[in-house]
Amino acid sequence: MIADEDTVTGFLLAGVGNVDLRRKTNYLIVDSKTTVKAIEDAFKEFTSREDIAVVLISQYIASMIRFLVDSYNKPVPAILEIPSKDHPYDPAHDSVLSRVRYLFSAESVASGRR
Amino acid sequence: MEEDDRCSSSNPGGIGQEEEDEDGKVLRFLDSLDTYLTLLDSLSSTLRQGWFEVASARHSMGSSRISSVLLDQKVQSAATTFQVRKSIHGSPSESCPSFAISKWASSRDGKCSFGELEVSHVRKTSKNSELRHRGSSNFYDTTEEHDLTINASSSISDSNVHQERSKSLSVFGTLVSPRLRAAQVSFETALDAIVEIANIRSSMLSAFTQLQQQMKEKDLS
Repeated sequence: MIADEDTVTGFLLAGVGNVDLRRKTNYLIVDSKTTVKAIEDAFKEFTSREDIAVVLISQYIASMIRFLVDSYNKPVPAILEIPSKDHPYDPAHDSVLSRVRYLFSAESVASGRR
Repeated sequence: MEEDDRCSSSNPGGIGQEEEDEDGKVLRFLDSLDTYLTLLDSLSSTLRQGWFEVASARHSMGSSRISSVLLDQKVQSAATTFQVRKSIHGSPSESCPSFAISKWASSRDGKCSFGELEVSHVRKTSKNSELRHRGSSNFYDTTEEHDLTINASSSISDSNVHQERSKSLSVFGTLVSPRLRAAQVSFETALDAIVEIANIRSSMLSAFTQLQQQMKEKDLS
């Protein structure tokens, strides 16, 4: 998980939190002091770990590292952009929907007609 | 003559079949897209409920008792995990993984899966239906022992789940607000939605890839 404190707290209550012997966690709490580099490093780490199947990332945080999220194309772990307290979900910014929007673009329709 | 026209239009050299396949793929893609958006909307509502409950718990217990500082204190392994099953449709490049959730697996028992909890629940309900006929036949006497065993195993599973839930809540102290317990349930529900979203996302991307390939083949031909 890469999300704000309340979201991470809630999911940890649901039992998905993991802290190993080296005090490495499977979550990153993002606040006003968290740097973009730290978010990028956490994203790269979670997407390369074999014990992680799904990465939950708040959409507004995903927008901070949009290039990295959009260029990720492996099936596992799956990247799910979720809403946060202060930023509701916006389908226009979802990386999965951006990828498939091509099917509905004017260019693809025009090429089909040719 | 009309019948002949119908025949000729329905199968003009197999091209009609290809169009039907393409239409089927487009429909599959659009269905999964619609389901994806609906599930995300449902997830938003569930999360909103959960955030409200966390905020209420923080209000009643105090900000210092529900803060991120408490979260990294001790080594713990995740009690709720996801399982991935990778399936390959057609070419090796089109992998379509499916996700499942295993809730509140006891660390002592290894993987005591939620599936097992579901089976025990199904057996419980079938036992309840037999109760309606209790006393009408001797057959049910022999099943009583079996029912007791099922009851015992389901109560052990329930107590394991209860224990794991309490362990999760104990990070925030021994006595916690009922709102925090309610938040725990809300976020568990959110996890169920997340598993469905992950599966529908996988299906949507697989349908999209197939459509893309078909469009490329059409362009080449």
